Amino acid sequence: MDGMKDFAAEVREFLQAYAVRRSEHADDAGFRWGRGEDRMAYFSAAAPEVEAREVQRAKDWQRTRYDAGLGWITGPAEYGGRGLTPLHDLVYDAIETEYDVPDTGAIDVVGLGMIGPTILAHARQHVKERWLPAMYRGEVIACQLFSEPGAGSDLASVETRAVRDGGHWILNGQKVWTSMAQHSAIGIALARTDPDAPKHRGITAFLVEMSAPGVQVRPLRQMTGGADFNEVFLTDVPVSDDHRLGEIDGGWTVALTTLMNERATVGSEGAGPVAGALDPDRLAAVLRATGTLDDRAVRARLGELLADVMATGFLNARTARGLRAGVPPGPELSVSKLMYGQNLTRAAHFVADVLGPAVIADTGAWGTFAWAELLLATPALRILGGTEEIMKNILGERVLGLPKEPGVDSKSPFRELRRSGGIA
Amino acid sequence: MTGADVSQGTDDSDLEELRAAVREFLADKASEEALRKSIASEPRFDPALWALMAEQLRLPALAIPEEYGGEGFGPVELGVVLEEMGGALLCAPFFSTIVLAAQTLLASGDERACARHLPGIAEGTATATLAVAEEDGAWDAAHVATRAVLDADAGGWALHGSKSFVIDGATSDLVLVLARTHAGTSLFAVDRGAAGLTAEPMTTLDLTRAMARLSFDDVPATLIGTDGDGASLIGRVLDIATTGLAAEQAGAARRCLEMSTRYAATRFQFGRAIGSFQAVKHKCADMLVQVELAQAASREAARLAAQGDAGFPAAAAAAHAVCSRAFMFAAAENIQVHGGIGFTWEHPAHLYFRRAKSAQLLFGGPGAYYERLLDRLGI
Repeated sequence: MDGMKDFAAEVREFLQAYAVRRSEHADDAGFRWGRGEDRMAYFSAAAPEVEAREVQRAKDWQRTRYDAGLGWITGPAEYGGRGLTPLHDLVYDAIETEYDVPDTGAIDVVGLGMIGPTILAHARQHVKERWLPAMYRGEVIACQLFSEPGAGSDLASVETRAVRDGGHWILNGQKVWTSMAQHSAIGIALARTDPDAPKHRGITAFLVEMSAPGVQVRPLRQMTGGADFNEVFLTDVPVSDDHRLGEIDGGWTVALTTLMNERATVGSEGAGPVAGALDPDRLAAVLRATGTLDDRAVRARLGELLADVMATGFLNARTARGLRAGVPPGPELSVSKLMYGQNLTRAAHFVADVLGPAVIADTGAWGTFAWAELLLATPALRILGGTEEIMKNILGERVLGLPKEPGVDSKSPFRELRRSGGIA
Repeated sequence: MTGADVSQGTDDSDLEELRAAVREFLADKASEEALRKSIASEPRFDPALWALMAEQLRLPALAIPEEYGGEGFGPVELGVVLEEMGGALLCAPFFSTIVLAAQTLLASGDERACARHLPGIAEGTATATLAVAEEDGAWDAAHVATRAVLDADAGGWALHGSKSFVIDGATSDLVLVLARTHAGTSLFAVDRGAAGLTAEPMTTLDLTRAMARLSFDDVPATLIGTDGDGASLIGRVLDIATTGLAAEQAGAARRCLEMSTRYAATRFQFGRAIGSFQAVKHKCADMLVQVELAQAASREAARLAAQGDAGFPAAAAAAHAVCSRAFMFAAAENIQVHGGIGFTWEHPAHLYFRRAKSAQLLFGGPGAYYERLLDRLGI
């Protein structure tokens, strides 16, 4: 694969010119107690002005990548992509992790990772031309307007309505758990266009401009105290029919494109702000600082946790190696997601139990009360991106081939289904 | 199958070919029916089956270097074979002879001992085992009380003491014994027919893995390796042995999952396949998570061993912990998914349950393996 070698060399040359290699940082030489930022959080919980600065840095870095021909490696050339393979993408990611670059999670997890591929697959050509290059240049952030208060795990039961009015559709409803909505220029919304059809067959997908009249974004405060998500209210929002994605009543197919790309991103979690929570040295340091390093019961819990953390790492490494060799992933990504949530949850509770009073109230000691924030984030890890229960259904049905739960809801007209809140 | 360049590793498709050959052989020759015959007889394995394994597939030779008459493959290929043997609960002296004894001889670096014992093992004409634990069951050189005494007149060593939990101890042609000397602990070789050696079979939880108590009354023995090197040797052997055990456990856990899935899809209650109930479906999904994790951990440990990677000892300890828990979980849940039928003697589920608990505790259990992991990580 000489072509791949050339590509890797090109990536290195680019990163060498625009970023600093991690190992060149003296500060990165492993964890040391009492040194560095005293934070242990899953959600950003940053003040709005700090967050806005981070988003701008992400956009700027994306622009730099794009200008170097590395902003959309797998995208078709006509929309500003490089036209290379997913393997090239993996090679880029692998090399970039060696460098200290701005975190672009704000724009690429949902926007570039999930919404971009959906627009590419389902939008009209002039809509692709208008939005895709702008997205991958880092100018336009996109969000996913899928979940609703009444449609969580059962996404196909969305109630937001879209009614045709000449060349437009008028959307009314409420979306929830929308990441980055406050920074987004566009979003993809699922709305019900035929309530008399079974639930999967009466949904249509639309590309909504967030600046359109009737779109209202409100921050949603989660149990950690921060607001990393939003509620989005849609009141008589007009969407031109040429911004419809896919067929009328064919929105479920569009949603599956988005969700498939969501699953492709979960395996790559773990290098974010909380990676330190699973670092053996950092966990050992907590034991040392609390004088529990020789406590046999505490050591056994640490050993059990680290065995799972290592095994999960092995699973990810083997999946990544398989992908590089062209082996399609099996159930590993779902298993990895479940384990990541469980490992982080266990780490947070383990450290909290060891710290004891220092997690009940802030004593001011470094590296102690900071864990409270991660502890409070852990319930989300069993819910977001597909609840544990849904993940287990997927494993049971799609991997093990067990029969689905018998139900009437996928055959009956959506209008006749019983929904939360006792709507008649 | 010819000798492989170990440094290159075996291609994935070759590994799958090896797996298929072993699986087919075991399905044919080591069926549940054959297994039940073996566990009801003495010796607790079928010598004809052992001979066949050597003749047809050269399995005892697989992980022995070519210079000692073996095929020259490494831990990755051995792991594939062990996964299949674990899945079938093979009742034969493979783990004791190949994973424990042969690997101990190789790890000792004693070329004379290797040249003397390994060709017979590779050929399938000799079986062997490793005796470390005593009455307290600990695989820890510090707990060894059996003594080796150098008799200047006779010009050789003699062993005094006893060993317990010796896998296939009553049938092995060669017993490698860890014993105390003035220099610390050292490894010795004892022939089965040696004067003063008595073997007494132990009643075991795992019916598919025979164990014995061995007594040594002035038994002539040959020193292997360097006098006093026993403790560090056993440490290295444990990393290798637990990696092999982990492969067996991962394979057996997957077999439990397969049994449960098949049953849950075909057993009807309340007019539905029980696998359509989330309570049962999620049990199977939980088993799948454990199985995938176990498989990744055991295969990665074997890969690191083959590469001589510095991370191997920690990976071995992690694999041992994860695979022990995974197999125990899968074996217990398998019975639960089966309900009453799974609790009967006739159903194989209990054989897996027995193997699972026994394997989990074989090298010390949770109390030892979490500590071993922290030790390997320097914590």
